[in-house]
Amino acid sequence: MINIDINGRILEVEPGTTILQAAQAAGISIPHLCYHEAFPPEGSCRMCLVQIEGYPKLELACSTQVKEGMKIMTESRVVNVARKSVLEFLLTEHPPDCPICDKAGECKLQDYFEEYGLFDSRYAEPKSRKQKKIEIGSNLLLDQERCILCTRCVRFLKHVTETGELGVLERGIQAEINIYPGNPVSNNYSGNLTEICPVGAITDRDFRFRTRAWFLEEKPSICPFCSRGCAITIAYHPGFARFDLPQRVYRIKARKNPNVNGNWICDIGRYGYPYMDNDRALEIRFPEFAGKTDWPQAVEIITENIMRLVHMKRTERIAVAASTFLSNEELYLIRKIFREDLGISNIYFVDPSEGSGDDLLLTSERTPNRRGAVELGFALDPPPAEGFKENIELLFVFGNGINEKVETALVQRIASIKMKFLFTAHKSSSADHFDGILPVSLVAEKSGSLTNSEGIVQSFVPALDPPGDSRPLWSILTELGRKMAIDFKTYRGYSDTTDILREISREIQFFRK
Amino acid sequence: MKKVDEKILTRDFGVENSHTLDVYRKQGGYEALSKALKKLKPEDILSEVKAAHLRGRGGAGFPAGMKWDFIPKDSEKPRYLCVNADEGEPGTFKDRYIMSHAPHLLIEGILLTCYCVGIKTAFIYIRGEYENVARRLESALEEAREAGLCGKAILGSDFECDMIVHRGAGAYICGEETALLESLEGKRGNPRLKPPFPAAVGLFQCPTVINNVETLSNIPSIVLQGGKWFSSRGIQEDGGTRIFGVSGFVAKPGIYELPVGTPLKDIIFTHAGGMLEGKTLKAVIPGGMSAPVLKADEIDVTMDCHCMLEADSMLGSSAVIVIDQDTSMLDVLRIMIKFYSHESCGQCTPCRIGTSWIYKIVQRMCRGKGRREEIDEISRLASNILGKTLCPMGDAAAMPILSIVAKFRGELEETIVERSQKAKIQ
Amino acid sequence: MNRDYSDSTRTKIAEILKRYPNKEAALLPVLQLTRREFGSIGEEEEKRVAVLIGISPLRVREAVTFYSMLNRKPLGKYHIQICSNLSCSLMGAENLIAFLSEKLGIQPGETTPDRKFTLSTVECLGACEQAPCMMINDDYFGYLDPKKIDEILSRLS
Repeated sequence: MINIDINGRILEVEPGTTILQAAQAAGISIPHLCYHEAFPPEGSCRMCLVQIEGYPKLELACSTQVKEGMKIMTESRVVNVARKSVLEFLLTEHPPDCPICDKAGECKLQDYFEEYGLFDSRYAEPKSRKQKKIEIGSNLLLDQERCILCTRCVRFLKHVTETGELGVLERGIQAEINIYPGNPVSNNYSGNLTEICPVGAITDRDFRFRTRAWFLEEKPSICPFCSRGCAITIAYHPGFARFDLPQRVYRIKARKNPNVNGNWICDIGRYGYPYMDNDRALEIRFPEFAGKTDWPQAVEIITENIMRLVHMKRTERIAVAASTFLSNEELYLIRKIFREDLGISNIYFVDPSEGSGDDLLLTSERTPNRRGAVELGFALDPPPAEGFKENIELLFVFGNGINEKVETALVQRIASIKMKFLFTAHKSSSADHFDGILPVSLVAEKSGSLTNSEGIVQSFVPALDPPGDSRPLWSILTELGRKMAIDFKTYRGYSDTTDILREISREIQFFRK
Repeated sequence: MKKVDEKILTRDFGVENSHTLDVYRKQGGYEALSKALKKLKPEDILSEVKAAHLRGRGGAGFPAGMKWDFIPKDSEKPRYLCVNADEGEPGTFKDRYIMSHAPHLLIEGILLTCYCVGIKTAFIYIRGEYENVARRLESALEEAREAGLCGKAILGSDFECDMIVHRGAGAYICGEETALLESLEGKRGNPRLKPPFPAAVGLFQCPTVINNVETLSNIPSIVLQGGKWFSSRGIQEDGGTRIFGVSGFVAKPGIYELPVGTPLKDIIFTHAGGMLEGKTLKAVIPGGMSAPVLKADEIDVTMDCHCMLEADSMLGSSAVIVIDQDTSMLDVLRIMIKFYSHESCGQCTPCRIGTSWIYKIVQRMCRGKGRREEIDEISRLASNILGKTLCPMGDAAAMPILSIVAKFRGELEETIVERSQKAKIQ
Repeated sequence: MNRDYSDSTRTKIAEILKRYPNKEAALLPVLQLTRREFGSIGEEEEKRVAVLIGISPLRVREAVTFYSMLNRKPLGKYHIQICSNLSCSLMGAENLIAFLSEKLGIQPGETTPDRKFTLSTVECLGACEQAPCMMINDDYFGYLDPKKIDEILSRLS
């Protein structure tokens, strides 16, 4: 271990640590633009210069490794002059776009100017003009005038995706970043570029001019589009007091998780967020009963249908089609209610077909909880190809909430079943085939846990409120369990998902870690 | 023979066909190589080079023996030598002469260096504009190969070494050693962060020595006559001779090989024939354009690394540019900053933006739209570049500008006022 | 515009590619040869070189746009590159640039309508003792004045 002094604080750090890393670990912030922890230091922005006692020049914090006894000052007069000078240089060639720039409010140049600058411009020359709206990818726009040439984007595409679609062209003040004509950024991680760009040079098309960063609130969640379970941040608009907005979620950002997704998320998860607001199933619909139904009544009807078959000792006439989109807790409740309490074996799974995974994050499984379902003891059999058995008269379909695959796959084979209930988050064209539509909430709108393909169990809490009448499936199932009164005490004990997860880990070895 | 007359590098420049192997051998060429391979061990050569106090002749003046010693002894990777023949420092043309008139001297120097450091492959990075010089080098190499002086089993020994002439394509920054490496590797000439240093992580990530043409051309004579002899040709800690390239308002611009420590006055007034008729000395740039300027009353200096540093300038590439009274220092400033802003690689913020900003201000001043107070702005910006850039080119840009502003402030102000008055009238 | 390298250039390129421990290092020499062969390095040439070296065309373009000698647009038969750096300017280069400009009827950066001459200003050529100087294609000319320039240009067919 090496002892160093930063601003009078003595720190103990591992050899090989840089000054910036040591400072960050100790909660001391040193401004930087081109440095990113995922790539080797670049040293070109010159923003992180610090003063080291005994050294003739200022040195870079991002690339200078600590030495025993180093005395570092990150806030001295010369350091502040140097920082201001870097900011000043950058701002002279930076267009005054803040009023129309999407990055406003989360722009490093703005942040650092506020913290270290606040000086008037002394630049009396014409600014360089460059292109302001280059389509560098299907989702991305590049504004070369705003670009500060930190080259984070170039390095991301070099080190992380290894696709190299962006490069630095020309020399000196004419240097600019661009693609090769005909070779746009076309990999599945392009959206990360908007996040790592410290300024508004690379922006998302779908976020362009939609809202302002300071109107959005952010909550953590887990991405449900594949079995990687990347940590994400959902940025949503809480709405205005006097009028509603057509959407809640404006974008998804990557959230760092060293054990799962590192610093990144893929474009499927990033740009797929419209599913949270579009075409939601908002009302409980029982076509037989004209007018709105409420949850107590809906649960009553469902319970009645089940208990009728229980009393007839004909529970083998019940079938369930579930999906591995559901949380650990929901799958556990399904197992408990249908397999254990009701003793039925007709439990099938309908999932979207596999896609292709890549070497980075995306897995081939397009649902988040396949591993969870397996560890909970499900065989994951699809419904029999010939159709459900003749004697099935009660079907529960727990839709996967992302697309209609579940329902449309089944629709042909369920016409003969007498009573069919669909639990889904979205309006569905096959909804009319069902005798009851129960709106459920998405991963972003409930609590629970998911098990990713590597076996990591990740708990999550709601980021958004369930819209309309929808509610988390686990709470519907818990109520169902209570109402069926086969094992009232246990179901009564589930006040939230942590209770359920605790029981799961008591019962199943895998979940105990 | 007077010490001042004894030539080490340029001795045979006047001989007809001095660039051919035949003539070179007749004049004693490749004897050093023969001596080294027959009688000397690599360590012997290293200690002679150290004793010679041979400093780098490219601009930085770093002791050559020390640089070679930085090569890690225990690395399994191949070692490389890069010969810096980029000669981009304005005012400098000496290496062009060496490679045109004595290519074999350079080749022999390269071979000896490679023998000393344990290098099998050398790259001669020559600026693209020197196409004709490159062809001459390549012919000389062919001659050397055919004569068994280069390639495998040199002179019948088990020493193996070959070299490749690699042309640049027009970028001053590629004279900076790490930018040279990047360019050689087929990339943009962007200087690298140091550490790691090229001796440890250089060309293709392998230990690499980078030396200037003139530096290497001194090795044969050091091997033949010993480091002590070489050191005595110069002054303490700075041995040998240097080729001074004189240009500007002198009667006899050209190259002059003189001992290290020769007074600058002698170079200008004795050897280069003094000022052109009717011209008076105003300023001298003593070591290539990146060296801070000296006023007419400051040229009582000797041309060696130490004295030049004491005089707040530098020996650099020993290129002496002589400026007369009728030349406007504002124009000199403009031409300087134009160069640095054109040649900036663009990687780091202060140089990329700072050099261009200063250029725009100076251009405006030359057009008659500047104010005297803006001279302070130029100083401020140059100070914000100095010491804050990724590579030494930032300092190379900032220091001469700061020296002109400091030493010719009065004249700059007058010129600015004059030109803006002229502009108003027109 | 589907010309290919001449046989002799192909041979040279093949030899160059073998010289270096890895192919990327051959990029600049190959680009120089390509420039000489085709006169300029446009998109087609970039792609050609990219295939030869085994890198993406973008990497080729990054290099081409960095180095001053790798022109992307075609030049005239004679590329007159006159030095505008310090020693040459001290000895009157700026007047010579104006002289050449007027003589040829073009500004620096332009090519004469008959495509015979392109005029450029360049930085230090490394021939300061002969200031003012210029380079025409590969050849240096120094100690220039208007008369000498006239003489030199008149000899160019």
